[in-house]
Order: sequence, then C-alpha cells, then structure tokens
Amino acid sequence: MRKHRSPTTLGRRAAFGLVTAGLAAPFIRPSLAQQAWPEQTSIPDALKGSGEVRIATYGGTMQEAQQKAYFEPFEKLSGIKVRPFPGADPTKVKAMVDTGNVEWDMAQLSRGSIMNLQKTGDYFEKIDYSLIDDGVSPEFRFEYGLEMLLWAQVLAYRTDAFKGATPKGWADFWDTKKFPGDRAMFGTSGGGWPEMEIALMAAGVPADKLYPLDIDKALASYDKIKKDVVKWWDTGAVPIQLLTDREVTMTTVWNGRMAALQAAGVPAAISWNQGLLKRDAWGIPKGCKNKVNAQKFVAYSTMAIPQARVALGIPYGSVNSKSNEYIPAARQEVLPSAPAIKSQLVNYNYDWWIANRETVIPRFNKWLLS
Amino acid sequence: MSEAIDARVLPAPGRGALALPFSWARTVPYLLAAPLLVYMVVFYALPVVTMLLRSVTEPDWTLAHYAALADDTVFLKVFWNTLYTAVIVTLGALLLGYPVALALVRTRGWTAAIILIVILLPFWTSVLVRSYAWMVLLGRHGLINEALVAAGLLDRPLRLLNTPLATYIAMTHILLPYMILPIANALRQIDPSLAKAASGLGATPWRTFRQVILPLSIPGVAAGVLLVFVLSLGFYITPAMVGGPREITLSMLIAQQVDQLNWAYASCLSAVLLAIALVIIGGAWRLPGIGNAFRMSGR
Repeated sequence: MRKHRSPTTLGRRAAFGLVTAGLAAPFIRPSLAQQAWPEQTSIPDALKGSGEVRIATYGGTMQEAQQKAYFEPFEKLSGIKVRPFPGADPTKVKAMVDTGNVEWDMAQLSRGSIMNLQKTGDYFEKIDYSLIDDGVSPEFRFEYGLEMLLWAQVLAYRTDAFKGATPKGWADFWDTKKFPGDRAMFGTSGGGWPEMEIALMAAGVPADKLYPLDIDKALASYDKIKKDVVKWWDTGAVPIQLLTDREVTMTTVWNGRMAALQAAGVPAAISWNQGLLKRDAWGIPKGCKNKVNAQKFVAYSTMAIPQARVALGIPYGSVNSKSNEYIPAARQEVLPSAPAIKSQLVNYNYDWWIANRETVIPRFNKWLLS
Repeated sequence: MSEAIDARVLPAPGRGALALPFSWARTVPYLLAAPLLVYMVVFYALPVVTMLLRSVTEPDWTLAHYAALADDTVFLKVFWNTLYTAVIVTLGALLLGYPVALALVRTRGWTAAIILIVILLPFWTSVLVRSYAWMVLLGRHGLINEALVAAGLLDRPLRLLNTPLATYIAMTHILLPYMILPIANALRQIDPSLAKAASGLGATPWRTFRQVILPLSIPGVAAGVLLVFVLSLGFYITPAMVGGPREITLSMLIAQQVDQLNWAYASCLSAVLLAIALVIIGGAWRLPGIGNAFRMSGR
C-alpha cells in the first residue's frame, strides 16, 4: 500500500523537517513549567563578592536554562557578575592553560574530560569543598571538579515505525527483525567514548556486572549491529536530525535533546530502561583570573534551589538530593534524576574510562574500519 | 621624483645600485609586501610550525609517531580512503566539468552569463549549506527517493545518504567550479584560427577537438585536477555529514585525535596531509604550462 504523493510536497516536508531539526530546534525554548520557579532569597556570606566570573557553557537551550536558573539569581545575590561563553571544550582549556592565556574562570565539562587532561599535566584548580552544600552527595565530588548536572544517554525511537511495539532495552535495539530499520550510535569522532556498556547489555551482561568492561565481548556484540548503524554520531544534534528525517528508526540520544524534538511534533519517544546515567561537571582552569569567584559559583549552582531551577528549565537532573522537593511530580517524569527513572539507568563509570580510554578507543577505531 | 628616476635605472643593475647606497626602487616592493608577509608569518607560519613541531617534540624529541604510522592499520585505511575519494571526485569533476567549460567558452551573451551564474552561485554558498542541501536530496525520505518511489521505479527507498556515494556526489558538486574555471580559462586562450585551420584542412569537428583543442587545454585540465585533488584531500564537513559510517577521511581522523587529546599524533597526521599536498603541487608545477593556466585572462 504505497501512498502516491507528489514528490514536491514531500520534498518540502523533508526540507521543513530538516529546518525544524537543524535550525529551529536551538531556538525552541524547553517547555518551562508554568508555575513559579522556586526562588532563593539569600546566600551565605562566604559566597558573596565582587568582580566577575567567566563561565564556559555548552550554549543553546542549555545556556538559556542556566541563565534563568542560576546565572541571574547569582548576580543579584552575590554581587558577582556572570559572563557566559558558549563553547566549553576540554581542548580549549588545554590550549589556554598551555599558552598561559586563560579566558575562562570555569567550564562545563565532564569528570572524564577533566581527569583525562589532569592526567597529562596540571590543568585544573582543586575544588574548595568547604563551600559546597551538604546535599551534594559524595559520589558527585572529585578533587578537580564537581558534577553539577545529571543526564542520560538513552534509546530513542520513532513511535510510528514498529506498529505499536515498544523497544525496551538494548537487546531490542539489536533485534532488527522485530524492530526493522537503520540505527545510529555514538562514535568516537567528537572525542567521545563508544557505548561499550550498551553493546555488552545487548549481549546479555547484567547492568551491575558491566565494569570492568570486557572489550572483546563488546566488540563481538557490536559486530552484530554494525551493518545497520548508518551513522556514528558525535554531537547531540545528529541523532535528533536522523530521527526527524526518518533516516533511522532507533538511535541513542542525549535525553535533553528529545524535548525539543517532541515539542516540534515528531513522533518519537525515549525508552529509559538500561540507559547510561552520565554527569557534567564544573572544572576551574588552572591559573584563571577569578578563581575565588569561580569557587563561589560552583558552590552556589549546586545548592538545592538553583539545581531544581535548572531541572525545570531543561530536562536534566539535579545532583543535590534536596532539590526534589522543589520539582513538581509531572516534571519528575522526564528527569533522569527522578527516582523512578534513575533506578532504570546504569551509573556511567568515568573512572574506569579514564584508566582505560587510551587502549579502548584505538581498538574501537580499528574495529570500526575492519 | 627620484623614485621615478630610480625605477627607470632598475633594469640595468649595478649602475643604479652602485650610484645610490639606498635604493627606494628596490625597497618599495618589499615594503608593499611587508604587511602581508608579517601577517602571514605571525598568524600563519608560526602557529603551523608550532603545531607541526608537536609531532616530533612530544613527549621528547622523537620520530616515533611517524615510525608508528607504518603499522597503524587505522591510519593506513583512512589514508587510502582519503586518496581514493580524492581520485574519484577529481575524475567526476573532470568528466562533468570539461563539457561545461567548453559550453561556457563557446557561448556568448545571455547563455554564457547563465552558465557562469549556475557555476558561481553554488561556489559562493557555504559548504555547510550545500551539504545540508544534499542531505535533503539524498535522504531515505528525501527528494530523489520519494520521486523514484512515487514514479513506481522503486518499491522502497534506497540508502543514498550516509554512503560513500553521497560523499562523492556532494564533493564533486562542491568542487566543480575549481575544475571548470581553469579549464575554461585555458580554452579561452586557444587561438580560434587554429580550429578554423584544422577544419579547413579537412579535419572533422571530433578530430579538431582531439588533436587541437584538447592538447592545448591540457594546462587548464592539469590546473583543475591539481586544485580539485588537493582540496579533496582536506575535506572534512561534507564526508562527515553525508558520508558512510566507515568512510573516515584523514581530516576527520585529525579532528578526532585533537578531541581525544592525542595532539602529537594529530599533528603527525597533519604533517602527512601537508606533505602529500606539497608533493603533488611540487610535482605538478614542473608540468609545462601549468603556471600559465593560473594566470587570469582578460576578456
């Protein structure tokens, strides 16, 4: 039953889909909850100061949410001006510290990229934990950074592709008979680490027995899906565009990107089960001009209310255990930090990757080209 | 005034130079070039050299990174894929571009203007935009697939996007002007009376083309091939956007290694890419008449 439609109409639709995904998506605001956001009215004197703090962010909707969630309130409460710079990138931190021209006082990175760089030299200041709120549990704390945002790398699929069947985990992702169509997965081209955990879970390894990762087994599992993977994506916009244009029926995605896609009316959904729970972290580049202010901002932004406000602005979770009381139940349904969702996710082990990255990534690259 | 006098003495060296200890005429060309020269040294040469030095200075003075390339299967595969892609794209651009160059030279007035605009408009459009446009055309539910399915020629859409074919098509399109313009330039410099003489002596149009026009246009072809080939070697955005999952080019590998913080290795790869380009340009420069092809012809 083929529907005959004029190619021009479809062409326009395809073009529109592309425009929506590629151009408009960054401008669609995440659905900001209608009720008033929690307001913080005072901060400890230790967090007040003067001057400015220059913060590198990931830009886009993320920075918009951060602006409202904690940049603006921090300016009012502390007297320190916040200057955001979109484009946080560990390679830029390396270049800045190497050349002694440090233009950022802090940057949104990950524990992985911070510790990777720190292994090769002295690139980051130590976090002043005397300032940090006690609602931030020890699992998010490390010497050279503090995790400040929870997100998930999860399975996303076209809801119109499988006649009502719902993929429920990585075994289904690998099952191209039951769930036909092309796939996309995260690759190594943007400095990323391949989804070895996912390949292992698809092969039946239980989530609590993943680490240390068995690379031979993971690559053998990858072999089974390789011919169906049409794109090894490197940035979050790519899988969203592939879903929008129906290039793939299933892909891995960063959960926050799905909100804009669903807001644009694309029939796609997340399957949280067996997703990877990852974290972003603040790092303070060594030798930056305003490191005292940066320490203060790190402390403020991980307090309960600022963390809750970010989660209301963009569907990423809080690292402060006291934030949940400020987040309405309806919002909890889309946050990786919500107890019902977090329990389905696998805690990503950055430490294992930091120790093994140098041998695993070349093996993956070799496998990909073989 | 004295500058003018000196300028006239310049062709006879010795006399002017000896007469004046400081010659303006000799200095002025250097002074004119100096700002650009300083700019290029400070903002281009120094950073490039610093970057390339990383490949031999990290962790200590060593050639180990280069030595390792010989058994590096990832590098070798990527290297051949890059060369192979460049060859295909160059051939494609030559086969499509030569007839267009002929048409451009043989037509006058509006037709010529339209052909020129059709060549130049995409030339002035960003590579990113053109790569996106190819995604719209080649996608699984893009213009081409939907048209073929609607016409009943296909049962189900083909996989065109995210394949090496998509890379070849998009890169050929993007690089076509670099092939057409030098060839058209060479064709334009051919004296029209030569073709007339050939046909006057009884040559068929095909023989005239084969024995007169084609040989005389070779410098333009060589220049076009050189430009397209060298530019293809460094392509990054297009293969990354429309290419297949395993068709990695050298510049994609470099970007990946920079992101993975293997800067010494990335710099070593860049040196290899630069060396290939220089060897090709150096080799081509020895071909007769190729410098000619780059010269602008007044029309």
